[in-house]
Amino acid sequence: MRWLIKSAVIVDPLSSHHGQTKDILIEDGIIKTIKSKISDGKAEKINFADLHVSPGFVDLKANFREPGNEYKEGIWNGLDAAAKGGFTHVVSMPDTTPPIAGRADVEYLLRRSNGHTVQLHPAAAMSAQLKGKQLSEMFDMQQGGAVFFTDNAPVERTELMKRALEYANNFGAVIASLPCDADLNGKGVVHEGTTSTQNGLKGIPVLSETIRLMRDIALLKYTGGKLHVLLVSSAEGVELIRKAKKDGAQITCAVSANHLYFNDAALEDFDANLKVMPPLRSESDRKALVKAVKDGVIDAICSDHQPEDVEHKNKEFEQASFGIGAIEHTFSAALHAGLTVEQCIQALAISPREVLNIPYEGIEEGSNVDLVLYNPNESHQVVKDNLVSRAWNNPYIGKTMKGAIYGVFREDSSLIF
Amino acid sequence: MGQLSTRHLIGIKDLTKEDIELIFKTADEFKEVINRPIKKVPSLRDTTIANLFFENSTRTRLSFELAEKRLSADVVNFSASSSSVKKGETLIDTVNNILAMKVDMVVMRHPDPGAAKFLSERVKTVIVNAGDGTHEHPTQALLDAFSIREKLGADFKGRKVAIVGDIMHSRVAISNIYCLQKLGAEVMVVGPSTMIPKNIESLGVKVSNSLMDALNWCDVANMLRIQLERQGDDKDVAFFPSLREYTMLYGLDKEKLNSLDKKITIMHPGPINRGIEISSDVADSDQSIILNQVENGVAIRMAVLYLLAGSLGRN
Repeated sequence: MRWLIKSAVIVDPLSSHHGQTKDILIEDGIIKTIKSKISDGKAEKINFADLHVSPGFVDLKANFREPGNEYKEGIWNGLDAAAKGGFTHVVSMPDTTPPIAGRADVEYLLRRSNGHTVQLHPAAAMSAQLKGKQLSEMFDMQQGGAVFFTDNAPVERTELMKRALEYANNFGAVIASLPCDADLNGKGVVHEGTTSTQNGLKGIPVLSETIRLMRDIALLKYTGGKLHVLLVSSAEGVELIRKAKKDGAQITCAVSANHLYFNDAALEDFDANLKVMPPLRSESDRKALVKAVKDGVIDAICSDHQPEDVEHKNKEFEQASFGIGAIEHTFSAALHAGLTVEQCIQALAISPREVLNIPYEGIEEGSNVDLVLYNPNESHQVVKDNLVSRAWNNPYIGKTMKGAIYGVFREDSSLIF
Repeated sequence: MGQLSTRHLIGIKDLTKEDIELIFKTADEFKEVINRPIKKVPSLRDTTIANLFFENSTRTRLSFELAEKRLSADVVNFSASSSSVKKGETLIDTVNNILAMKVDMVVMRHPDPGAAKFLSERVKTVIVNAGDGTHEHPTQALLDAFSIREKLGADFKGRKVAIVGDIMHSRVAISNIYCLQKLGAEVMVVGPSTMIPKNIESLGVKVSNSLMDALNWCDVANMLRIQLERQGDDKDVAFFPSLREYTMLYGLDKEKLNSLDKKITIMHPGPINRGIEISSDVADSDQSIILNQVENGVAIRMAVLYLLAGSLGRN
């Protein structure tokens, strides 16, 4: 298949064409030519106004609810939605039903997603069956294709966390944590702040995140392992990670686009679609998160896609499930948070590739195709019927968002919207 | 008579000062009515009101029911223990089923904060919040302020009210803060820091951990009920070690009251734990307006129901 991308602004800090407007000719999954003007009668032409092209986005945290709850999304549909969000790689979380806790589970996911434009990268359980008691067979799962190991939930046993960091380091594997203290979270449902007080909702203090981060960073320094923090939500959390990086610990972290866009004041009207874990924090936390993306303390912006159906969300706030399902708006939310296009590309495409060790050579002639086509300046209103994801819990519906994704290319496969 | 600025009564937060004063004026008239030998008026004849109580309540429910009956409304009662909720029906379905039987207004008590708002956005009826978890309990705040007005006069400016006890788990506290502030009063919350929300200052209240400091400061002390289940169990860490110690620190008795160089007014939303947050001799003293609160509760609820029924296009 031959494609000719016409006059696209190349945004890729690793490319020698960075910042230039070029035509790009693609054939059989390889970038053939990059030139100011290419004519090719046989190639399928791609022509959009104000077209930009960057390396495809990499999502470090999403859940497609398969196996177990396919009706909420499903892998194939979830990957379609990811493509609509500009992603060409997605890490799926292991807390499915049953969990991704053995090599056969990992291989099942890879088989199910095989052939899709978007590459699925399974993360697998850190503890056996996600029970938080014993180690899982991490080496075997890594051989099967698991990219890192996490319970995607608070790890209450300190000894287990220590052993996991030590053990995984034997074969260079990364442990990923969701830093919150279940004890301090209690029955909390929102950030402990003005809104929780006004609305009489139980609060989750920032302390829950910082106490757990302090523990995990101390364990990381002790063990010399590798840790990826799946989500950081607070200014204090950012500072702890900044210091740990400065101290030389092998730590990376991500923030969800939702935490860059919303703060806890948005929950004033008890919108259960904004109920998420960790909770949306205060405006000063939100600003600190945006700043940390800009200065690189936060490596990556992820979707934290957690699709839910109407029955789990359209109910009394305390009874509604946690999670936001908005993988299609990750880039738009990041733009609205005040990040430049280049800062978005760094946090959505470049740094997360480093976290996952995905080899990447930049948009150059002869390199493998792995691209997203978009226009950061086009605005559109989010309409439920136009969404690809099945998620009912999308708080961006009705909002006018800038940043339109036109399509993704990976190897010899493409999806154009 | 005027109209409220809202269609539902979800919380005091949504009311204006004018709304509150209109409710008080209307309640003045109804209070006169319920002290007549014939206590009933035909205002809500042919209006059907459902009292939906998804959480136990005796006095709030009784007070609403009396208010409804004195207004000649038809009343149906629903309580969660005898309901389909336990069979897994959603709140929206439960209420829509009841509304399908041609009910005009819903008075709801629910354990989840935000439940009344949630419902008001999803079903077509007038909702009166009779307490939604730890969020708001607007009619309680209205009757509390109405009782202060009756005792100390209509001008709330500079009036100092201390709310004492478990602020964190209290819908009465939040609604009272909003209501008293809108009327111009100053509010202090008092209790052990384990039961005061971290960010309560953002509501513009003073915070104290000393009962005596608060008593010396205030004109009115509203003693909240200590919920006995807050003592915790094997699973949860308790908010205070024992009732005995709570009473030592925050219980109001005659000795503390008499040590003040002024006469303050004592309130309690009920039901009282005698000898715990308030001693019997204080509760029954002439400084206490606890039973006036109960009486005013019926008049306030009549006023709220009457004013909200205006939007039904019936009177």
